[in-house]
Amino acid sequence: MNKILEVKKLSKQYTKVLAVNNISFDVKEGEIFALIGPNGAGKTTTIRMIATLLKPTEGEIIVDGNSVIKEAAKVREKITYLPDEAGAYKTMTGRQYLKFMAGLFTNDQEKLNKYVEKAISINGLGERLDEKIGGYSRGMIRKLLLSRAVMTSPKLAILDEATSGLDVINALEIRKMIKKLAAEEGMSFLLSSHNMLEIEYVSDRVGIITNGNLMAMGNVEELKQRYNVSNLEEVFEKVVQENEIL
Amino acid sequence: MKFFNLLKKELKELINMQMILGLIISCSVFVMMGQFMSNTMNKIEESNGEIRLSDSDDTEFTQSLIKAIEGAGTKVVKVDTPNEDRAKALEELDISNLIIIPQGFTENVLENKEMSDIEFVSAISSTSLASQMSSMSYSTVVSIIQTAVKQTLLLEKYEFTNEELMHIEAPIKLNEVTVVKNKFADISSTSLMSFIQSQGILIPMVVFIILVYSSQMIVAAISTEKIDKTLETLLSAPVSRLSVVFAKMLAAAVVALISSGVYMFGFGSYMGSMMGNVNSGEVASMVGEAMSTNEALTYLGLELSVGSYVLIGLQMFMTILIGLSVSMMLGAMVDNVKSAQTIIFPVMITAMAPFIVTMFADVSELSIFVKILLYIIPFTHTFMSSSNLIFGNYSAFWFGLLYQVVFFAICMILVLKLFTSDKIFTISLNFGQKKKMKIHK
Repeated sequence: MNKILEVKKLSKQYTKVLAVNNISFDVKEGEIFALIGPNGAGKTTTIRMIATLLKPTEGEIIVDGNSVIKEAAKVREKITYLPDEAGAYKTMTGRQYLKFMAGLFTNDQEKLNKYVEKAISINGLGERLDEKIGGYSRGMIRKLLLSRAVMTSPKLAILDEATSGLDVINALEIRKMIKKLAAEEGMSFLLSSHNMLEIEYVSDRVGIITNGNLMAMGNVEELKQRYNVSNLEEVFEKVVQENEIL
Repeated sequence: MKFFNLLKKELKELINMQMILGLIISCSVFVMMGQFMSNTMNKIEESNGEIRLSDSDDTEFTQSLIKAIEGAGTKVVKVDTPNEDRAKALEELDISNLIIIPQGFTENVLENKEMSDIEFVSAISSTSLASQMSSMSYSTVVSIIQTAVKQTLLLEKYEFTNEELMHIEAPIKLNEVTVVKNKFADISSTSLMSFIQSQGILIPMVVFIILVYSSQMIVAAISTEKIDKTLETLLSAPVSRLSVVFAKMLAAAVVALISSGVYMFGFGSYMGSMMGNVNSGEVASMVGEAMSTNEALTYLGLELSVGSYVLIGLQMFMTILIGLSVSMMLGAMVDNVKSAQTIIFPVMITAMAPFIVTMFADVSELSIFVKILLYIIPFTHTFMSSSNLIFGNYSAFWFGLLYQVVFFAICMILVLKLFTSDKIFTISLNFGQKKKMKIHK
């Protein structure tokens, strides 16, 4: 399978903090890869570098053959990014927001309508789409943003805490949707989450990051066997503890 | 196409019901204030035309004195001899000012040759300008009485002829000449300046309001995008950052221009109502016999042509653009609502300082240090633009405009650098909070 994302020896040094230290991983076409780690481990910095928002200090990121450093504009055509706790323009209606965002990806009206229709079928907001976003609940905004992130069928969808703010039923639906899009459309996902149950259910492979270092990587079953534990939460705990001792 | 999509979104965000209502209310308030001021001025003018006088002496001399006052164009309303308690007197007569000619006044003036008393009673009920203006007009009337007493004395007691009296009263005639560059005209420089100032106050006032308003608008727009993380979504989408920046700038500039038009109308209506009475009354009568104000302005080359108004408009637009670009940088440096509200302060101060200084002082007469300090502020040149063009200081005007263009270009380069680097997500200037690194690992 093609590699959609290749992260090679990636580092990010802020003025006083080395946020990401020499990490490498890749995501294949149709694969769901999850980055997990404690707060401040370097997940969001890594994700923001892949989303072309931050410039790496060292290393390289390739998205579907294009360098994030040298060809950021091309990369942006192939990815979508959903930040953690993101909002939307409160004065717009849900439908207007989807049209606006679709208009940033295409100038073709037919394609634009297709994108919007796809988002509408995914988010299930129905008539509420014609209401101002300012009146939406947190969960409704998250569903709207998630549908926006996948409506253009990007090569790589980067979702930071994809289901935060959603109730159990809605979160389950979203997880199923992610799996379906990966399987049927070959869309690749880079996820970040604190919800180990969700990661265990949805991801093909997992990378555990602590203190800016990628300490473990593999599919969930492999990791459970490697650390001789029964679930991903315990794998996570062991990896973090080992790293702290080091 | 993508740019228009962004522009449409920015305009939609800025032109909302809150903004439209704000403009309508501000404009209506200005127009209403103008009407109110106009009515007040008219009332003052009406009341200035008459005085209340109590003639307790009631002699032939005081009768001719009253005739002399009326002859000078002031209507005299006679009232009864008042209560000794002056407060009660005004209350009983339901008036706020009163001139009392006491008993024995004629005898004192004609026989004793002593300085004679006339009482002027006035009530203060507020600190308003209107109440002050009303009191001042009474002081003028007292001076008219002084003149009337003097004239009556000279005519009746010392038997002067009218010709002799006129000669004593006005032995000299003051012909005022105002020079501007190489031209001069028979007109009072004081009245000419007060006319120009009353006309020129509009531009700096509107520039200041729009500068602060548009800066606040763009700071709110950028910081809200940062706080809501919509900026992250926008900047990771396939749209150039140049488009994002220019769409925001253009939308804010369009809204600022609409607002300035509305404010110009509202404030112009207010100033017109307020100044209209002063100009048509005081100035015209002062210069009436020599040359009319408009004639003098045209002759001395002090009138602003259509071209001059276009140039002033150009500097106003540059000022708005500079304000927007600086505010864009400031807005990009905050990521909480509290800081977004306070970060506009530096722009306000740097606009307020030259606004006040240029209104009250002649910048060319200030110390070199203060002058340099003022000229460094790009807004100063706009506040001085009408003065520069009226008095033909074209080099100062063009230098100011060139400086503003360069200043704006530098600001835009910095804005683009900020938006194309990752500083937009890592830099943080949050006031009133402990300094912390804004890094989300």
